[in-house]
Amino acid sequence: MKRDKTSGTRYVSALAGLAVLLFLLAVLNLCLGSSAISLREIGHLLRGSGESTAYDIVYNIRLPRILAGILLGGALSISGYLLQIFFANPIAGPYVLGISSGAKLTVALAMVFLLGKGITLSALGMTLTAFLGSLLVMGFVLLLSGKIKNMSLLVVAGVMVGYICSAVTDFVVTFADDSNIVNLHNWSMGSLSGIQWSGVRLSATLIMLGVLAAFFLSKPMGAYRLGETYARSMGVNIRGLRIALILISSLLSGVVTAFAGPISFVGIAVPHLIRGWIRSDEPIRMIPACFLGGSVVTLMCDGIARTLFAPTELSISSVTAVFLVPVVLTMMVRRKGGRP
Amino acid sequence: MSTELKTRILDAGYDGKIVIGDVNLQVKPGEVLALIGPNGAGKSTLLRTVTSQLPEIHGTVFLSEKRIQEIERTELARKMALVTTERPRPEWMTCREMVAAGRYPYTGKLGILSDADWQIAEEALRIVQGEAFGDADYNRISDGQRQRIMLARALCQEPEVLVLDEPTSFLDIQFKMDLLSVIRRIAKQKKIGVILSMHELEFVPAVADRVACIGGGRVACLGTPEEVITGRNLEQFFGLQKDAGEEVARGIHEYAQALRKWIR
Repeated sequence: MKRDKTSGTRYVSALAGLAVLLFLLAVLNLCLGSSAISLREIGHLLRGSGESTAYDIVYNIRLPRILAGILLGGALSISGYLLQIFFANPIAGPYVLGISSGAKLTVALAMVFLLGKGITLSALGMTLTAFLGSLLVMGFVLLLSGKIKNMSLLVVAGVMVGYICSAVTDFVVTFADDSNIVNLHNWSMGSLSGIQWSGVRLSATLIMLGVLAAFFLSKPMGAYRLGETYARSMGVNIRGLRIALILISSLLSGVVTAFAGPISFVGIAVPHLIRGWIRSDEPIRMIPACFLGGSVVTLMCDGIARTLFAPTELSISSVTAVFLVPVVLTMMVRRKGGRP
Repeated sequence: MSTELKTRILDAGYDGKIVIGDVNLQVKPGEVLALIGPNGAGKSTLLRTVTSQLPEIHGTVFLSEKRIQEIERTELARKMALVTTERPRPEWMTCREMVAAGRYPYTGKLGILSDADWQIAEEALRIVQGEAFGDADYNRISDGQRQRIMLARALCQEPEVLVLDEPTSFLDIQFKMDLLSVIRRIAKQKKIGVILSMHELEFVPAVADRVACIGGGRVACLGTPEEVITGRNLEQFFGLQKDAGEEVARGIHEYAQALRKWIR
């Protein structure tokens, strides 16, 4: 006998559900905004006829933003899931461990420093800088985790590290008065606005690389869920796996921060919601579902951030926080009550 | 199957500090070797070293004449399986999935389990009499059931050598008897060499063919349960007060005699 059939059906229907949701949200985001555009109009535009301002809005502003939401949201959720595997604890994510803020700080520092010399940082340069910043904070968190075994305390420490990084970033941004840096303020709060096609292409390449690498690690990741000793006894290269998890997770959260600034709580909350939905924590199932889940949540939150008080935009992190903090809190409370 | 675990003048410990030294042990196929000794004597350290979780400090662990540190990971995983004192807490994992996790060294790149793999997992579940809770969440079963599942997971690895660190600690007597019966039965039927550490001396004669008593940083004595569990050794290595040893040892062997009937 195989395992029960219902789990497979449940998984497939969850994936299908997420895909449908994602499609609907994408269409909604395409139509809604400071100027509403009807579906029929969009149909015309995509066939190459219609008004040129509308074409500009749809093709050069909304479409790249939607794709960025899908890609970056998915990346964030996978990044969080990899950290959860690494720490063997669902209370982990790039934002709560301060990793996103570390990336934010290094990018802000590099931008301000280079702008002072009259150089504009390229998108790839920003991404690499963000990756480095993620790795730096990750290294620091790993050092702390050697001393602090309690995950909740480690998260508190991560939040504090995040605060320091944000404070220094604010300082840098406030005292740099170059007009280019005005944009930095929006970015440092987390926002998907202003993403261009070139950025979409670059982030798509890097994210696909990271997510594929994660997918092909799903076998050792699955064994790692049983703990280090059991995983090693089954033939897992523990050191190699741990390094790979850190690198991929930092790459993914670095890309997100480089293009959209820190987006809060997607990495910690989405994997938890998905696990509950598909009733499995098997990496090979979790990775595709987490990616889609992250895309859906991010697209939804960006839509709200964009349209709720249009034409004024909210930062996306304010919206994700409102929706996802309750999820994280429930998870923490339930774990506290249930088991250590 | 003729895989034999052997150590030669082995020194085991952490960070170059020897916890237990000059170990020369051997486990033949189908044989059960029990390690006994007081807490902190180095049983777990020794087990971690013979399973290649810890590197040897000096000397060598051999698996069928091959140095264990030189055997490729997957090949080693197909020859040797473990039940440790670690308690994994994976989320959303059924007992059947936990057992099937033992197929790891046999699956392909993505670790997808074939029907044959599930069949083997089912058979392992049957051996430990765990079919009844195969679909239960691994985190929601009792300690005794959990140990049986971890044993089934190890069997699913189809090992030729099985290593168990205190498999019966903290279990009720009935679960201890069940588990040891299964261990003894598979050792004999499948010709698997078993090495296990135990605190419950009264269960040792019923399950083990040979016993190694660890004390004073070395294997202090090695032999049949009758030869090793003696009054003198209890006094010398387990800190029993003078004159108590003889009487306690006699009691242990009597109790063991009663258990033997139900465990063999």
